[in-house]
Amino acid sequence: MTVDVRARTYTIIGPEPEWWYRDLISCLQATFGSVLARAGTDPLSVLGAGWRFLHLPGDVRPEEFYYPCPVGASGEIDLGSALAPHHELHSRWWQPADEDDVWREVRETLAADRLVIAAVDNFHLPFRPAYGDVHAAHLVVVYGLDETRGVVYVSDAMPPAFRGAVPIEEFLRSWGSANPTDVKDAFFSDSRIGRRCLDVRLDATPAPLTPELLGGFLRTNVEAFTTVTVASTGLAGFNAFAAELVERCRAADAGALRELYPFGWGMQAQASLHGELLRNCGRQWGDPALAGAGRAVEAVAHAWTGLRFTGAHGLEDPRAVAADIAHHATVLHGKYECAVDAVGAAAARL
Amino acid sequence: MFPPVCDGPDNIRSAGQFIGVPAGRYDWIHVLAASERRCEDTIELSFADGSIDAEPLRISDFWAAPAWFGEVKAFESLVMHYPHHIQRGVTALMWAQRVPVTRRTDLTGILLPRNVALHVFAITLQRHGQLT
Repeated sequence: MTVDVRARTYTIIGPEPEWWYRDLISCLQATFGSVLARAGTDPLSVLGAGWRFLHLPGDVRPEEFYYPCPVGASGEIDLGSALAPHHELHSRWWQPADEDDVWREVRETLAADRLVIAAVDNFHLPFRPAYGDVHAAHLVVVYGLDETRGVVYVSDAMPPAFRGAVPIEEFLRSWGSANPTDVKDAFFSDSRIGRRCLDVRLDATPAPLTPELLGGFLRTNVEAFTTVTVASTGLAGFNAFAAELVERCRAADAGALRELYPFGWGMQAQASLHGELLRNCGRQWGDPALAGAGRAVEAVAHAWTGLRFTGAHGLEDPRAVAADIAHHATVLHGKYECAVDAVGAAAARL
Repeated sequence: MFPPVCDGPDNIRSAGQFIGVPAGRYDWIHVLAASERRCEDTIELSFADGSIDAEPLRISDFWAAPAWFGEVKAFESLVMHYPHHIQRGVTALMWAQRVPVTRRTDLTGILLPRNVALHVFAITLQRHGQLT
């Protein structure tokens, strides 16, 4: 007679993951924030340090967690590096290697006291507002697995915010969902979930944020905004993106507006975090110009609202909203120009 | 300037509409509004002497969000009604924001921004020198 002596319960050590949330971020920043907070690092100081514009034509995917990320030399996609270019934050996508034991890597990661970030389809998760209603690609933090009780422990900072047990069968439906095309959500459906997971690592403890250190980050950010490259980066990249967007709307290409919403979310979230960090640092260090530069960056985030939602509401008739899309792109361009100027001036004194 | 109680929409989706107002001296324009995500845009105030001033209109997100622009919370729902269920833990918010009228002459109209994320439910004008 043989006895199965394998452990059946795997959880991280210590308290449950912290929720980290801001109203303009997506599940991407929220889940990375949970990992950073658990590492004892202020998520805002890491996720808010970088500020870029990058558009990768043809790359945008209908997922809440889409973020433009160039493919590395060895073919890897490192979202951590894209989100936090000034820190040793790295990530890699993985999927279960063994279809007959899809939990193996999750067990190993949890046993190593590390969090798992899992892609899911909201349609199948009972705690999500979209449950049983709308298909949408989302990220959650997995912090425990109890195969005896048949539950996965999940943390999700996005409203309504949830932390607790989800039946394994329901989680598997969500984790393995085809996330089919859903007319109720044209922006985050039609993207196979495929049991994808993110392994996130902070390879070095960030140095304390000083004016000198932040000044270096800001000068690098501003240089990237003001340097013309072959890719769609910086202010020139934004202009190219905006011009193409307007042209595609005039040509009645609804795909342009389907891409605008998820792409813009990443840019909007990043600007909001960067602006908040600068505003906080300016207040803490008695530097009103730095705080004001932060507010200027936040104005960029707010201007993304007009562009994204004009596109969202104009999906049925792109040609009809082309003029309003052009208007909001012009406004946003102006906000970028002002913010880059303000950040550059503040950085020069740090 | 509440819309009349009747069938149909209870708010204006901001799309560049011009709202004429009783000509007079006002200090504040109070706006009852909600926004799909944080919205920071510009309204244009028209005056009897032909002058026009642009002023910021800032409205926080309606979906389970803080008063990012320091508005007064006008209403907050206990739950959110979705097409097929009622969601606990997600509130819908409507904000009471105000816009200054800095020019000391008669206001005659308000041009709303071209921003469909912004929903205006009511506008109240506060006369010059009138206490809130």
